[in-house]
Amino acid sequence: MPESLFYFIQQLLNGLTVGSTYALIAIGYTMVYGIIGMINFAHGEVYMIGSYIAFTAIAALALFGIEFLPLLIIGAFIVSMIVTSAYGYSIERVAYRPLRGGNRLIPLISAIGMSIFLQNLVRLAQGSRDIAMPTLITGGVSIGPEDAFNANLSYMQMIIFAVTLITMTLLTLFITRSRMGRACRACAEDLKMTNLLGINTNGIIALTFVIGAALAAVAGVLLGMYYGVINPYIGFMAGLKAFTAAVLGGIGSIPGAVLGGLLLGVTEAMTAGYFSSEYKDVVAFSLLILVLLFRPSGILGRPEVEKV
Amino acid sequence: MKKAHKKALSQFIAVAAMAGASSFALAADNIKIALAGPVTGPVAQYGDMQFTGAKMAIEQINAAGGVNGAQLEGVVFDDACDPKQAVAVANRIVNEEIQFVVGHLCSSSTQPASDIYEDEGILMVTAASTSPEITSRGYELVFRTIGLDSLQGPTAGKYIVEQVKPEKVAVIHDKQQYGEGIATAVRDVLIEGGIDVPVFEGITAGDKDFSALISKLRQSEVDFVYYGGYHPELGLILRQAAERGLDVGFMGPEGVGNSDISAIAGEASEGLLVTLPKAFDEDPKNAKLVEAFKAKNEDPSGPFVFPAYAAVQIIADGIKLAGSTDTEEVAEALRSNSFDTPTGVLSFDEKGDLKDFNFVVYEWHADATKTALTE
Repeated sequence: MPESLFYFIQQLLNGLTVGSTYALIAIGYTMVYGIIGMINFAHGEVYMIGSYIAFTAIAALALFGIEFLPLLIIGAFIVSMIVTSAYGYSIERVAYRPLRGGNRLIPLISAIGMSIFLQNLVRLAQGSRDIAMPTLITGGVSIGPEDAFNANLSYMQMIIFAVTLITMTLLTLFITRSRMGRACRACAEDLKMTNLLGINTNGIIALTFVIGAALAAVAGVLLGMYYGVINPYIGFMAGLKAFTAAVLGGIGSIPGAVLGGLLLGVTEAMTAGYFSSEYKDVVAFSLLILVLLFRPSGILGRPEVEKV
Repeated sequence: MKKAHKKALSQFIAVAAMAGASSFALAADNIKIALAGPVTGPVAQYGDMQFTGAKMAIEQINAAGGVNGAQLEGVVFDDACDPKQAVAVANRIVNEEIQFVVGHLCSSSTQPASDIYEDEGILMVTAASTSPEITSRGYELVFRTIGLDSLQGPTAGKYIVEQVKPEKVAVIHDKQQYGEGIATAVRDVLIEGGIDVPVFEGITAGDKDFSALISKLRQSEVDFVYYGGYHPELGLILRQAAERGLDVGFMGPEGVGNSDISAIAGEASEGLLVTLPKAFDEDPKNAKLVEAFKAKNEDPSGPFVFPAYAAVQIIADGIKLAGSTDTEEVAEALRSNSFDTPTGVLSFDEKGDLKDFNFVVYEWHADATKTALTE
């Protein structure tokens, strides 16, 4: 039955594409949680802002007469990552840093407030209607027979895989090899102790937010180009899914976020492909509950150890 | 003393009512028709459409000799599309002993007002309220001259069966009341017409990724897709289908038929089929009536102008057929006859809804224009 095999491959590719972008957003949740133990609910909105900035950047570059595609896309990435990182830094500085050290619930409320603020800010500035962009990258390759069902992989999907892979590799290298990365890991290990040893923990926390925002911007640019349509509400659902992915993989663990994202994406695609789109979210969240029942700290999460 | 006080109060109410209600044809034995709808408030422009159509009908019927020797008299009442004010208006209409009402406009106003009319034996014909609720309560004296939200499904299904003639159709919806209702109706008509519907499923409104669904549609080899829902999701489905080589026809209800779908889907929106209410003013049969509106410097293009004209006309025709102004007899006449009006030949079912209201199938174009495919 080669046809059903190609159908399986097709749904796998669909799932991995969506999953990669969940993973990119999930890293923002997991890094922040890993260091300060807080869930940054405004992260989904940061992704949405990343998309808006990418659209604006592409429109602006096209206005200046730049029509060379790679330049346009690289330009969108650079502008969006820089501006969105600035957002990430500002959010941390304005909404979380003043509240640090208090009850853990307070920054959480502040995060929800920030999320509502950002969503409405974009809605007022850009309008609440969908904004669409023509497809920039068309075409793809087909795997399988010409006359029957064949799996196709678009160039845009390939770009999503490639960019996700490159970004993850760079992030892993940064965390494991650089001095700053080592400081990050130290903060995740024990924030108070790291501070005592003379590391500027506030700076490291801000850096975490900046990295998370930059990765969300990457996801924003990729998904903005992939779907071609954005509105101020896309951050909510994307944030929820990415948060789920982070919890599924084990919140606090970066490889866990990647694994969780891919698993969630593939589960959704397989449910929609073999069962029904109606049950896609039901199955995805049932999976989450099942995993948490048997591994409360997620697939790759470390069990919570009481620090003495 | 007490009685005098009461009389003074009722006089005051009468004066207040006169101030609010403007009569524009006075004679001894007139048949009064209350025209209830928003004169003020945020949706007053829709009220204008209704009043324009109704007044024109009254004028033309009177010019042609009236009804059974009597002239019609229209009395305008302002409900501002506010349910509370609509109830007050309904009570005033009862007080003035008016037997016939054309209105109200907003479904939320029509619903509470119709309770009062039914209790007081007043015949009501709405020309604009499309909520299925209004006629689903077993009322005898409530009619409407406009289609229901739920009528579009059968129109679309019939067109697919008779004109598109596909072999396998996928019916997709957004799991919401409007979309799923229409999609279910379409599926039922298709199955009745002997067409295979291998895929019937819901998506989540607000979703962005439909790649899994589109792969499934490709694999199930459907040659036509009906979508019940709104434009943001269908726009993305069209776009992703085009990118993924799913080359089939698509169709949707009025909820997808606006210019945003072309903005989202671009070239992929070319050839999409959409059901929309008919533009009565573009019907050549109505050319003379359109001229009459233009001669009075009024706009005949609004969606409620012609249904309001038809509402007044069926009341007049019903009175003629019944030979009296007794509302129950008129209601009986409306149920058992059909009426030739500018919106087509109208006949009513038990509930007081039109037996068929024309939704027209349009072909949508990438530049957000459309061409009519059916009458």
